[in-house]
Amino acid sequence: MSVRNAILGLLAHRPRHGYELHDAFEAMVGGEQNWDIKPAQVYSTLNRLEQSGLVVEDGVAQDGGPEKRIYMVTDAGLAELRQWFNEPSLSDRRRDEFFLKLMLSLVVADGDPRRLIYTQRAGLYRELHALTAQRSQVNPASQLAYILLLDQAIMHLEADLRWLEMVEARLDEISRQPIPEPAERPRGRPPMDGNR
Amino acid sequence: MSIVKTEQLTKVYGQGATAVTALNRINMTIQPGEFVAVMGPSGCGKSTLLHLVGGLDQPTSGQVLLDDRSLSGLKDDDLTTLRRRQIGFVFQFFNLIPVLTAVENTALPLILDGMKQADAHNQAEVWLTRMGLGDRLSHRPDELSGGQQQRVAIARALVAEPTLLLADEPTGNLDSRAADEIAALLRQISHEWHRTVLMVTHDPRIAAHANRIVFLKDGTIVDDTRLSDDGQYEERVVREKMAVMA
Repeated sequence: MSVRNAILGLLAHRPRHGYELHDAFEAMVGGEQNWDIKPAQVYSTLNRLEQSGLVVEDGVAQDGGPEKRIYMVTDAGLAELRQWFNEPSLSDRRRDEFFLKLMLSLVVADGDPRRLIYTQRAGLYRELHALTAQRSQVNPASQLAYILLLDQAIMHLEADLRWLEMVEARLDEISRQPIPEPAERPRGRPPMDGNR
Repeated sequence: MSIVKTEQLTKVYGQGATAVTALNRINMTIQPGEFVAVMGPSGCGKSTLLHLVGGLDQPTSGQVLLDDRSLSGLKDDDLTTLRRRQIGFVFQFFNLIPVLTAVENTALPLILDGMKQADAHNQAEVWLTRMGLGDRLSHRPDELSGGQQQRVAIARALVAEPTLLLADEPTGNLDSRAADEIAALLRQISHEWHRTVLMVTHDPRIAAHANRIVFLKDGTIVDDTRLSDDGQYEERVVREKMAVMA
């Protein structure tokens, strides 16, 4: 969904052909190491947008090589983009893979929740180290957008690490609490009312 | 060859029923050029570890080896000399002398070691300039920002050309921007000037500048994580350089 809307937005900025869209997207997010999209994904998204009437072809570019179809956004596309701008972007952090691992490591016979926490912590620190190194290479005078993007990732990692610290501190407590079992559901037909 | 090695390093404070084991048989090896962060909850023994490695405190048992030489066998005078020449210290509260200028503060260890004032000042200026303080040489601590004061403290720690820099919460008294700059500087000190840096911190963002993190809990090492291979690369470069010089 976000790639589709980003393509709409880039076309609302100015008409472009598929490959330009791909490069513009990568430039915006600071390179493929941050968000890798394939040209094929851009072309298939463009096809769907065109079928939905959100973009139309706006001529053909030919600079020696094969023809490149240039796209522009339609009024319907602009309306869709506005709607996207008007909605908050929510992250669903409750669907967390590590949380599942942790809960199951507490009940599986050879699970080692403390080791699990340390492995996770090491992974997060490696990521934080790489992002910190990446951020130190960025020029604040010309690449403020990347700095903001990297800072967001860094701050989320810091929060994850703080949370892990809390989990480790409370691990003994959690270990004494079995993971919740689903509420029992009555089987078969609901019981008849006794008076009837 | 390791620059720091601890063998069964143990520190117990107090005696009998009230004895508290701050460090319990720590075995740790640090190679030249590594930038190592020590992390852990408060009271886990991280500052004690730093103090023992720096010879500021004596272990209850076990030993610290610097450049394969045990600190335990050294006489007080030898230990003081070794601390002054081989180890640089950086603390949370800078510990600069308020009435002295940046150059005078930085040159102090050299003058205490018997160097002539003019030479000591020249060397101090070199390190202050490397720390980005070339235009602050005659400023006194109260005329400098927190980040700048810590840079003076780092210059002072490095002026005697030690191989090992020990930093105890070096960013603990700084705002986050200055803290990031100091952490990046420590990284540079390890990468470009090939000093070994051992830093205690509780701040994940600062620790992430290091190449390796040692996690302590209740006086023992519970995890030892390598964040990247740069440290090992640097170590190889240093080894090759030393081989050329030999």
